[in-house]
Amino acid sequence: MPGTPALDVSGLTVRYGDTVAVDELDLTIPTGQTVALLGPNGAGKSTVVNAVLGLLAPAAGAVRVLGRTPREAVRAGSVGAMLQHGGLPSEARVGEVLDLVRRSFPTRWPLEDLVVTAGIDGLLGRPVEALSGGQRQRVLLALALAGAPPLLLLDEPTSAMDVEGRRAFWTTMRGLAERGHTVVFATHHLDEADAVADRVVVVAGGRLVADGSSAQVKAGIVGRTISFTAAPDRRLDGLPAVTGLTRQGTTVTLRTADADVTLRALLADGGLPDLEVRGATLEDAVLSLISTGTDAPIGVAR
Amino acid sequence: MNRLLVFQLRRVGRNKQYLFFTVLLPALFTIFITKIIGGQAGDAAGFQDLAASVMVSMMAYGALGAALGATIRISFDRASGWLRQLRITPVPQTQVVAVDVAVGALLALPSLVVVALVGRFVNGVQLGLGTWLTLVAVLWAGSVAFVALGILVGLSLEEKAAGGAIGILGTMLAALGGLWWPVEMFPDAMRALARFMPSYWYAEVGRDVVAGSSTVLPVLALAGFTALFGVLAVLVGTRRPLHAVSG
Repeated sequence: MPGTPALDVSGLTVRYGDTVAVDELDLTIPTGQTVALLGPNGAGKSTVVNAVLGLLAPAAGAVRVLGRTPREAVRAGSVGAMLQHGGLPSEARVGEVLDLVRRSFPTRWPLEDLVVTAGIDGLLGRPVEALSGGQRQRVLLALALAGAPPLLLLDEPTSAMDVEGRRAFWTTMRGLAERGHTVVFATHHLDEADAVADRVVVVAGGRLVADGSSAQVKAGIVGRTISFTAAPDRRLDGLPAVTGLTRQGTTVTLRTADADVTLRALLADGGLPDLEVRGATLEDAVLSLISTGTDAPIGVAR
Repeated sequence: MNRLLVFQLRRVGRNKQYLFFTVLLPALFTIFITKIIGGQAGDAAGFQDLAASVMVSMMAYGALGAALGATIRISFDRASGWLRQLRITPVPQTQVVAVDVAVGALLALPSLVVVALVGRFVNGVQLGLGTWLTLVAVLWAGSVAFVALGILVGLSLEEKAAGGAIGILGTMLAALGGLWWPVEMFPDAMRALARFMPSYWYAEVGRDVVAGSSTVLPVLALAGFTALFGVLAVLVGTRRPLHAVSG
């Protein structure tokens, strides 16, 4: 069906007991996009991935993968995934596992090309126990691709890889995107999102807090963070260049677009005990995105 | 044949412990125990009874160990993330459990056949052909009780506890159910306790077949245990799906 999005999530809410992991999240991803799901640990990225795969039941909302429910999509081979808690069986050889999984799908990625694409040449006869961390991830990638899925979901796929492995992995992903696959990956590394994705979706506290191109999201993140100790009655409003402010007890954290200007104003107003100035991290950016209290996500919705 | 079944059998085939604990060990026990206590038999008929009883006990011991060992392993597959991985393929979860049930049942058979052969050709147990076949068939069918128990334990326990349970549960069922020593040698309290063991009734089915007496009571008892374990396994499986991450 032309025009059917690869992934359509609407009003998705997932609860673990009393904790709301994902809170009325809307996300539409057209086919062919490479999207980074960016956010700190516990932001709800994995929960979104697992809900899309039907591994957990949402409290509310709907998920459609190429127009299908998660369960139908898995059965039809519309979606393949590298899970965060996925794994390989003991006492089996890589080739046996791959064969079992590949043959279970209605459409199958041709074996020779799959081996080359996933980079598992020479590993098929290997016992699962004899794989290195990086090799293991590549085998899991091969399993994710085995059904030739149009949509590929990757939940922190490079967490067990070294620098070299990561680079090779993302080269593979770019290749897949060029072949028309829709790739959605969860990560907490800004650099990965920056280098690979043509769209970055920032998730925090189970909500979508930013959505746009990598450049657009980064523009919202550049700047510096100033933190210091201040009495609770110290007035901090009206400071120049400040884009976000959080107070935790006596610790004040400011985000500023221009540290120089902000610091001058602060110093003119009194001392700055325990002063710290640093480049904004993703966590800071996300925190500021939340603390500014915008319900509407920044950036450009597509 | 079902691809997943072949896959699972191949995995078990790589496990040398299985062969040792569920086939070799019961076969050796059958020979040694019969040699040691065989002298207590007053005459040839007494020896026949004794040798047959030891053989049935060891058939039961081997088969229940194999059934438990094969099925409790489902816990390992959960811990490794393999069950979760399978959940994002078109393979239905019911098939995953069904195949493990089939593997548990299939693995119980070699223990039964090998110990029976040892009983016949090493210890000289004499039974009619029909009785031999019935004995193996009935004990094979009865092994489903321990397949159900193994699935229940495998679904309930985490990897480490499950690993321990394979040995402990097998030993407990064998010792308290009177497979290693006849319950007649037990003190009264333990003899009463044996009746709460599925392993006791399992061996009783075999002994009744050998004696040519009615198997109704032990069959009913064993069926009750099977139903209990099966229902509990389904309850645990529904509360905690196969793909749930352990811990």
